[in-house]
Amino acid sequence: MSGSSKEHIIKSYDDELLRLTGELVRMGELAVSQLEAAIDVVDRRDERAAQHVVNNDDAIDQLEQEISHDVVRLLALRAPIAGDLRHVFAALRIAADIERIGDYAANVAKRSIPLSMAAPLKPTSGLAHLAELAAEEVRGVLRAYRDRDAELAYKVWQDDVELDEAYTAYFRELLTYMMEDPRVITPCTHLLFMAKNIERIGDHATNIAENVWFLVKGEPLTGQRDKRDLTSSPEPVKLGNRPD
Amino acid sequence: MSAVYARRSVVNIVALTLSGLATLIGLIFLVWILWVTAQNGLGAIKLSLFTKITAYADQGGLSNAIVGSLIMDLMALLICAPIGVLAGTYLAEYASSTRLGATIRFLNDILLSAPSIVLGLFVYVIVVIPTTELTDGRISFSGFAGSVALALIGLPVIVRTTDEMLQLVPGTLREAALSLGIPQWKLTMQVLMRAAFSGILTGVLLALARLAGETAPLLFTAFGNNFMTAHPLDKMASMPVTIYQYTNDPNPTLHAIAWAGALLITLFVLALSLLTRIMFSRKKVSYE
Amino acid sequence: MNDLAAATAAPLTGANAPAKLKVRDVHFYYNGYHALKGINMDIPEKQVTAIIGPSGCGKSTLLRIFNRIYAIYPKLEAKGSIELDGENILDPSYSMNRLRTKVGMVFQKPVPFPMTIFENVAYGIRHHERLSRADMEIRVEQALRSAALWDEAKDKLKQSALGLSGGQQQRLCIARGIALRPEVLLLDEPTSALDPIATGRIEQLVEELKHEYTIVIVTHNMQQAARVSDRTAFMYMGDLIEFDNTEKIFTKPGKKQTEDYITGRFG
Repeated sequence: MSGSSKEHIIKSYDDELLRLTGELVRMGELAVSQLEAAIDVVDRRDERAAQHVVNNDDAIDQLEQEISHDVVRLLALRAPIAGDLRHVFAALRIAADIERIGDYAANVAKRSIPLSMAAPLKPTSGLAHLAELAAEEVRGVLRAYRDRDAELAYKVWQDDVELDEAYTAYFRELLTYMMEDPRVITPCTHLLFMAKNIERIGDHATNIAENVWFLVKGEPLTGQRDKRDLTSSPEPVKLGNRPD
Repeated sequence: MSAVYARRSVVNIVALTLSGLATLIGLIFLVWILWVTAQNGLGAIKLSLFTKITAYADQGGLSNAIVGSLIMDLMALLICAPIGVLAGTYLAEYASSTRLGATIRFLNDILLSAPSIVLGLFVYVIVVIPTTELTDGRISFSGFAGSVALALIGLPVIVRTTDEMLQLVPGTLREAALSLGIPQWKLTMQVLMRAAFSGILTGVLLALARLAGETAPLLFTAFGNNFMTAHPLDKMASMPVTIYQYTNDPNPTLHAIAWAGALLITLFVLALSLLTRIMFSRKKVSYE
Repeated sequence: MNDLAAATAAPLTGANAPAKLKVRDVHFYYNGYHALKGINMDIPEKQVTAIIGPSGCGKSTLLRIFNRIYAIYPKLEAKGSIELDGENILDPSYSMNRLRTKVGMVFQKPVPFPMTIFENVAYGIRHHERLSRADMEIRVEQALRSAALWDEAKDKLKQSALGLSGGQQQRLCIARGIALRPEVLLLDEPTSALDPIATGRIEQLVEELKHEYTIVIVTHNMQQAARVSDRTAFMYMGDLIEFDNTEKIFTKPGKKQTEDYITGRFG
C-alpha cells in the first residue's frame, strides 16, 4: 500500500484503499482509450463513432463520482493519516485530472464531426502524432501511480516538454496552411482547438505526475521544467519553419 | 508566583519532617521492643525449653505450653476460619447493600474491638460453667474452652478481611460470570473465592497471629497446666499464660524462661507475617 | 492487478438485513430516575450496530438490558419489550439461562477468571453442556481460534489467564463469550482499556465475527463506531436521536444533534 508495504490490522481498510486505486486505474485506462478512439474517428471521418465517443464520457464522469464518494467515505469512516491520507487525497485530485482528460478527449471527438463534413485535410496526421504522445504520457503516469513509482512519474513530468514542442510545431504548421489557403481556416481552426485540447491532456498528465510524486514522497514535486509551448510567447512565431 | 512556590516548598519540608519524625518514633519503639525481647530471650533459649515441662519450674522448660498453645491455636482456627470466611462471603456477596448486612458489619466491628478478657469471661460462662455442672466437675477448664475463646478473637478479623477482599474483586468479574449464565453460588465459590483467595488466606493468618498472643481469654478457660497434655478436654497450658505467670514470680530464672517464651511467640508471629507477605507477592492477582 | 480486481468487485456494506432484536418502547428506571425514555430500534442480524453518545446518554444501559445483566442489581427496572427472534426477553418467564447462552457480553475492562486460559473458556460451556474431554478441547480451540487468540495461547493453555496482556485478555473474554455459541454479542466499550494495536486487533475481530454473530457495540470512540459498524445509533439523554447506516451518519446525518455531536460541537 501507499506509505508502508505492511497491511493494516483491519483488513477491510486495505480493501477499500485497494479499491480506490483500482477505480482510478480503470478510470485512467478509460480516458486513454477515449483519446485513442477520438483520434481514430478523426482519421476515419466517422460521425456516428464520434458521437459514441462523446457519449462515452459519461462513464468516466460516473467513475469520478464513485471515487469522490469512496474518498468521502474513507475520510469519514477511516480517518486516514500519513501515507493513507496522501493516498486518499491524491486519489481525489488525480480523479479530477483524469476527468478533465476524458473531457478533452470527448471534445476532440466532438470537433471531428464538423471536420469530417469539410473536405479532407492533409495535416490531420500531425494531430495523431500529438495524441500518441499524450496517450503515452497518460499511460506512463498511470503506471507510475499504480506502481507508486515516483521516478517514472518524474520522467513523464519531464517528458511533457516533447508534447509541448510537438504542439508548437503543429501550431505553426496549421498557421502556414491557413495563410496559404484561407478556405481551410474553419477546419484548421477546429484542428487548432483539438491540438490545444491534446496539449492540455499532457498538462493534466503532469498534474497527475506531481500527485504521484506527492503520494510517494510526501512532498511537492519542485524543480524547473522546460516549457516548450511557445505559441503564447510575445515573440512572433516564425513562419516557414514547419517540419516536413 | 514565586512566593507561592516558596511557601509550598516550606510546607512540604515541614510536613515531610513531621511525618518522618512520627515514623521514626514508631520504629524506635518497635526496634526497642524487639531488641529487649531478643536480648533477654536469646540467652534463655536452650534445648530444655523444648523438652521439659513447666512442672520443673526453674529446672524445666516450656514444652507443655508450646504444645498447648499450638493445639489451642489450631483448634481455634478450625472453629473460626470456616465460620468467618462463610460469614464474610455472606456479607460481601449476599448482604452487601442490605440493612441486615450493615448491622452485622457493625456488630462484627464491635466484636473486633471487644476487650479480650470479656470474651474469656463470656466463654467461662457459656462453656466452662455448664460443662462443670454437667460432668460434676470432671470437665471444667479445658483446652477446648480456650479454643472457643481464641476463636472469638479470630472470628471478627476473618469476617472483616474476607468481606473486604471479596468486595475488592471488581464487579465486572461478577457480571462477566453471570452473563455466561453462571449461577451466583458457583460464581461465589469458584470464581470470586479464587480471585480473593490470597487475601482471604492473609486474613486467616492475621487472625492466627492475633490469637496466638492472647493471654486474657485463656485465664478463665484453659486455665493452665504444669503437665503435658494433648487432650482438648483437660486443662491446658499455653505460652501467653505461662509467660504471664512466670513474670509474676520473684524467681529470676523463671523471668528468663518467660523472656525466651516471649521471643518464641514473637518469632512465630513474625514468621506468619512473612509467610503472608510472600504469599501476596507470589500470587499477584491484580485487578486494579 | 488481481488484488485490485477483486477489491473493486467487493460490494460495499448494505444494511438491509432482517432484525435480530426488536426493541419496542423500552423505558428504564434507575432508582426512580428515568434513564431510557422509550427506545425503538431494530438491530439487524449479522451486522455490527454501534451505539454512540455522550456519557450518561443511556447507551450502556440499553446494552445491559439486552442480556438483562442489569437485573443483578436492586432497584433497576426495565419496561417495554425486546424481541429476540420473536420472543420477548424482558418477559420474566423468558429463562435467564437461555437468554445468557443466546446473548453474550464483553466488558470494558478485560476480566479473565482467575483460572487457566483453557478453563476460562471451558468454564461457561461446562455449566450448560456435558462434553467429553476431547469435545471440550475442540470447543475451546474453536472459540480461541474465532477470537484470534489460538496462535498466541495454544502453548500456554494450562497457564493462568492473568498472565496474558490486556489485549489478549480481552480476546480471551470474547472467546469465553462465543464459546457458548451465542447469537448476539454485546460489546461494552471493549477497547477503552487497550492500546491502539490491541484495539485494531479487536476491531478486525469484530469484522470477522459479524459473519456469524449479531454484534452490538457501545463505544465512546466515534472513529471506532465509524470503522467497525454497519449501523450507528446516536443516543442523547435517554432518547434514541438517530439510527441509520454508519456511512450516512458520518457523512450526512439526518439530525442536527447528531451532526453537532459527531463533529464535536456539543455542549
